[in-house]
Order: sequence, then structure tokens, then C-alpha cells
Amino acid sequence: MSGAIVQLGDVRDQAQVEDAADVVIIGTGAAGATAARVLTEAGLDVVLVEEGAHVGPEQLRSDMWSSFKHVWRDLGFQVASGRAITPILQGRCVGGTTAINGAIIHRMPEKIWARWRDEFGLGAALPYAELERIWQILDRELFVGPAPESVLGKNNSLMRTATERLGIAGNLIQRNVKDCEGSAHCNQGCPTGRRQSMNVSYVPRAVAAGARVYATCLASSLVTRHGRSTGVVGRFRDPLTGVRGPKLVVHARRAVLLAASAIQTPLFLAKNRIGVGSGVLGKRLQAHPGTAVVGVFDAPVEMYRGATQGYESVHYWDERMKFETVAMPPELAMARLPGLGPELMRELASYAHLAVWGVQVRAEAQGSVRAGVFGGTQIEYDMTDADIRVLKLGVRRLSEMMFAAGARQVLPGVHGLPPAISSVDELAPMFDAPDDPRLFHTIAAHLFGTALMGGSAFNSVVKPSFETHDLPGLHVVDSSVFPTNMGVNPQHSICALAWLAAERLV
Amino acid sequence: MSWWSFERRWLAVIWQTLLPSGTPGGLALGARDVPLDRFLDELIAFAPRRVTLGARLCVWLLTFCPLFVIGRFALLSALDDDERLAVLQKLAASDVYLVRELPTLFKMLGALGFAGLPAVQAEVGIAVRDEAPPDWVGAEKP
Ligand SMILES: Cc1cc2nc3c(=O)[nH]c(=O)nc-3n(C[C@H](O)[C@H](O)[C@H](O)COP(=O)(O)OP(=O)(O)OC[C@H]3O[C@@H](n4cnc5c(N)ncnc54)[C@H](O)[C@@H]3O)c2cc1C
Ligand code: SF4
Repeated sequence: MSGAIVQLGDVRDQAQVEDAADVVIIGTGAAGATAARVLTEAGLDVVLVEEGAHVGPEQLRSDMWSSFKHVWRDLGFQVASGRAITPILQGRCVGGTTAINGAIIHRMPEKIWARWRDEFGLGAALPYAELERIWQILDRELFVGPAPESVLGKNNSLMRTATERLGIAGNLIQRNVKDCEGSAHCNQGCPTGRRQSMNVSYVPRAVAAGARVYATCLASSLVTRHGRSTGVVGRFRDPLTGVRGPKLVVHARRAVLLAASAIQTPLFLAKNRIGVGSGVLGKRLQAHPGTAVVGVFDAPVEMYRGATQGYESVHYWDERMKFETVAMPPELAMARLPGLGPELMRELASYAHLAVWGVQVRAEAQGSVRAGVFGGTQIEYDMTDADIRVLKLGVRRLSEMMFAAGARQVLPGVHGLPPAISSVDELAPMFDAPDDPRLFHTIAAHLFGTALMGGSAFNSVVKPSFETHDLPGLHVVDSSVFPTNMGVNPQHSICALAWLAAERLV
Repeated sequence: MSWWSFERRWLAVIWQTLLPSGTPGGLALGARDVPLDRFLDELIAFAPRRVTLGARLCVWLLTFCPLFVIGRFALLSALDDDERLAVLQKLAASDVYLVRELPTLFKMLGALGFAGLPAVQAEVGIAVRDEAPPDWVGAEKP
């Protein structure tokens, strides 16, 4: 059978769309698309339901706003509240967040896995050797390799210079990209389809094997029969305007997989009264919040040339911080620059001389997610004081690295400090200031833990088999089930767990 | 929900103060040279309601803030350019988080429209990929 991607425009005139498959998957991001890849190639019939649109590389533009509109959730305006307001970044399109991510590939650190084994009893359910087997396949199929020298660009090579001069470990980032042309557009969506995000890799592969993708369709409830999940009900809806189309009903002969991300999965479960009695649904939201430091160089950096994220350092991973380069488009750089008025316009004029690097923290903070009173999503997240101390140290180390690479000035982006510093000594007041997230502008992009996996329905939502405790036939396969964050970029671990979950259904 | 024309004017003045045109040593282009009014229409049409309601409230707060910031009984838009910039700079340096986020919010929103334009990107040195400007530039009111 040949598959298809069906969107609102294709079914607008129909009263209802009905389908049936062995497995129905909600979400086409890292988790959902990977599960579809495994299931279809094992001969199962699969349907995917995706809230966002299918946006081909040829439809992508290079400005951030167009990308926010068509492929990001809430046009990039989703935030968590706490002492500070933290943007919570996600994709909403076929391919999910992988369609806007930096293509950074990491395997789950063994130390994290050991914690999952020892503290959460998940060693037998998620054997590391199995994960390694899967990562090898993923590496091959998603063209994982180090950022090529030919498209490194200066923003990345300067970080290498810094790590070499300071004697700290650093490496070219392993990326899932085939023939990267170094356009520094990963976060807008790769305009040439070279990044092997799910919309160009596993979704088309599953479609070629017969899967149907219902895009621009929000899954809202489950069909149940004899106490078992037997299907999904959704409604087509233009993600941008909210204009509604027909209802979708898909029957699942074998299972329903929920892969809607660590924010939307707990919302879906709560709405369907699943896992509510566990006391942990939507709680324990963990992340890798981070902030960016800007360096001003005499020579051009031109961060718009090169891999968006091509160099990193995990030297201080044990201290809960990771550094990576990130080429910021001018729209985002401008918002991050300290000046206002003529000063801002002068800073923007020197855009070609700016380098931007980020620190992400393996935060201990735990937040929550629930449906907002007036619709929408209510996310609470507040870095702890200890997390802030890690962030302060991270900003200091990044600044040292910028100076080691030859920066004339560093724009630390910390309230209470001079907007531009010429030596790290000028950061001293930051350490005397309270450990308060409002000193920084942070964002969070890696999300975990809101539908915990565990042995008991009294303190977890999902069994070690990925099936929910409350509803047989419903499996959660995204990073909601992760008991902790990891301190490295999560896509590869999310894919591996989803792969494992899917294999167990075959 | 459409904005009153005076609210649009207030916002235009805020954007023109934050992103002035013809800055020596800076960019030649500024908010005055690009149709940010149409970008506002985009925001109103597509951004989550809480964002546009919040932005609208913040336009009012900024417009009436000179009395509290510099003790002048005047609207922000009635101040001369230097005074207006000084007010915004004072807010941005405030120790009160929500106060200093006010100018930052409009800098962020203005930057999204302004710095995404091919003409602006070309001015900062980028070899622009898209020749045509984004849809909103030529759009009728959504
Ligand atoms: C800017 C950015 C850069 C990043 N860079 C990296 C990186 O370089 N490397 C890395 O490893 N990780 C990176 N990440 C994180 C990584 O991409 C995500 O952790 C990963 O994609 C999450 O996978 P997921 O399947 O759980 O969710 P997603 O990939 O977000 O997919 C979930 C999908 O489900 C859909 N959905 C939600 N609710 C419903 C519903 N009710 N009905 C139908 N569909 C629904 C969503 O629209 C979405 O498409 C980045 C994240 C961001 C925001
Ligand atoms: S740097 Fe450019 S070409 Fe390379 S993966 Fe990212 S968007 Fe695609």
C-alpha cells in the first residue's frame, strides 16, 4: 500500500475522515517518526496524526518570523512562568522539533543511564547494550558525522581555538546532516533538506512503506473498547488561523502510541483522565535551560556562514554545564544585544563581527505543565539557586573562552553588569548578586519527565514496557517518560527509546 | 481584535525610538523605513492572544510612564527623541524585572519584523537567500 501526507486542504469538504491501522501514532517528531520507521518496516500498517503542517524545504524562508509562523509552536511565544519568564521552544509541524533543531547528536551518557538503573529501576527495561545497537543504526540511517571542516565557519572554529588555548576538551559536533552546505539556518528549518530531521528522513520513509500522515490534525481523545485503547479522535485545524475542518477517527488494531512531546503528552493524558492518579502526571518537568554569551571580534566572524552549531565542549559535564556554538540570526541577535536606540543600531551594524555561544545547564529544577484556565498551556519552571550558580559559572567560563579566542569585548547579557566587558574580572559582581534567574535571559529547549516511567501506578504513569498503567493499548514513547534530564542534547536518546518501544510491539 | 489608531501610533513611536534610522556608524535603515505597521497586523492576526493583549497593555504602560520615570506629565510619544530614549533606557536598567522587560519586549518584537527583512539583512552583511521580503510586507490587513 502506498502512503500519503493528508492535510486540511485535502479533506476540507469531507464531513469526517476515517481510517484504520495496526498502530496509530500521535506526533511526528523524534519519537513518533522513529516509531513509525520501525513499525512500517516490520510490516505493520501505521497512521500518524500531527497537529502541525507539512512544510517542505522549498516553502521555508530564511527569516525567523516566517519560520515561527509555519513550523514553531505558538510562533515561538510559548513560555514558562516562574521568577523569570522562560521561553519553552518547540516545533509544531511534520518532523516536530527535529525540523527546527541544531542537528546535534549525542548518546545518553552512561552515568545518566546508571542513575536510571539504580534510582528508578529501569536498567532491565532499557538495556544500554540495546540502546547502543539502535544508536548504531540511527547513526547510519541519519548520516551522523562530525561537522565538516569545509562548512565549519568562524563562529565554530573560534570555539575550537578557545578550547585549545585554555586546554579544555572540545570537539566538532556530531550532526545528522548529509552534505551540509553551512547556511546557518537550522533553526529556521533547513532550506535544502540536508539536515536529516524527521520530516526529511523517517516520515517520508514511513510514508513510502505505506503510512498515512494526517497533518494539521489535532488529536484530542482516545477511542476505547473493553478497557483498551483502540483508536484516536482528532480534528483537522489550520494551525495558524485555527479554522476547523472535519473530524478524524482512526481505529487502532494493535496499539496507540503517544509521541506528542514532554509538554503536549501530559496535557493529552490529563484530558483523557489517564495517569491522573499517579500524582506525577505533568509534574517533574525537567529541562536544560541555557543562555547565550556574545563576543565582539575585530575580524569578521560572519556566523551566518557555517554549520549553525558545529563545535561544543562537554569538559564540564560533571559540573552540570555544556557549551556549544549557536549561529544566531540577526532578529534574535538584535533582541539579545544590550543597547537601545542608536547604540542598538551600531551594535547591529557590527553583526558580522559577533560570535554567539551558549551554555546549557543540566538543571535540577522541576516544573509542571497543565492546561491553562482560559485554554492554552500553563507551564511553571523555575531554576533553583544551585542551577543559577552553575549558570553564573557557565557565563564566566564562556566569557573566558571568548577572550581566549581573541574577542575584543564580551556582552555577557547579565543584569547589573556592564553591557560590554573587556575582562572577566568585570563579571565579579555577578557572583555577589542573589542567585536569581531574573539576572539572565534564559531559554529551555530540551524537555523531559512529565509522564514518568516506573513500576507502580501510584508514582508513575507509564510501565517499563512503555504502556500506560491506566489504559492497556496506550503507550507513551517520547521524552515524557524520561526520569531525568541528561546534560546532552536529547534527540538521539528519544529516538532510541521510541525505537525500542516500537520493536516491542512488533 | 484590532488596535486603535492612536495605540498603533504610540507603538510606532516606541519602535522608531528603539530602532532609529540613519544612525552614524550604525544602520541606515530603521523602523521608520519599513512597514512595521503591517508586521503589527501579523502579530495581531497570528500571535497567541495573551501575547498581543500583553503587548497592548505594555504600550499603554510605556506611553503613560514618563510621569513616574522622569516626573513629566506627558505621554511618551510627546517627548522629544532624546528624552524618550532616556526614559526607555532608564526602564531597561531598572532593578524591577518586569519594568526592565518592557522595552526589551518591544525590542524583541520590533527585531523580529525589522531584522528579518532582506534589505536589513543585506545591510548587516548577509548574502540574503530570499530576494522577496516576507509575506507580511506586501500583505493587506489579514
Ligand atoms: C531550537 C531547538 C534546537 C534543538 N536542538 C537540538 C539538537 O541540536 N539536538 C538534539 O538532540 N535536540 C535538540 N533539540 C531538542 C529536540 O529536537 C527535541 O527534544 C525532540 O525533537 C523532542 O522529540 P519529541 O518526539 O518528544 O517531540 P517533538 O519533536 O516536539 O514532536 C512532537 C510532535 O507532536 C505534535 N503534537 C503535539 N500534540 C499533538 C496532538 N494533540 N495531536 C497531534 N500532534 C501533536 C507536535 O506538533 C510535534 O510535531 C532542540 C530543540 C529546540 C527547540
Ligand atoms: S547549516 Fe544549513 S545546510 Fe547545514 S543542516 Fe543547517 S540549515 Fe541545513
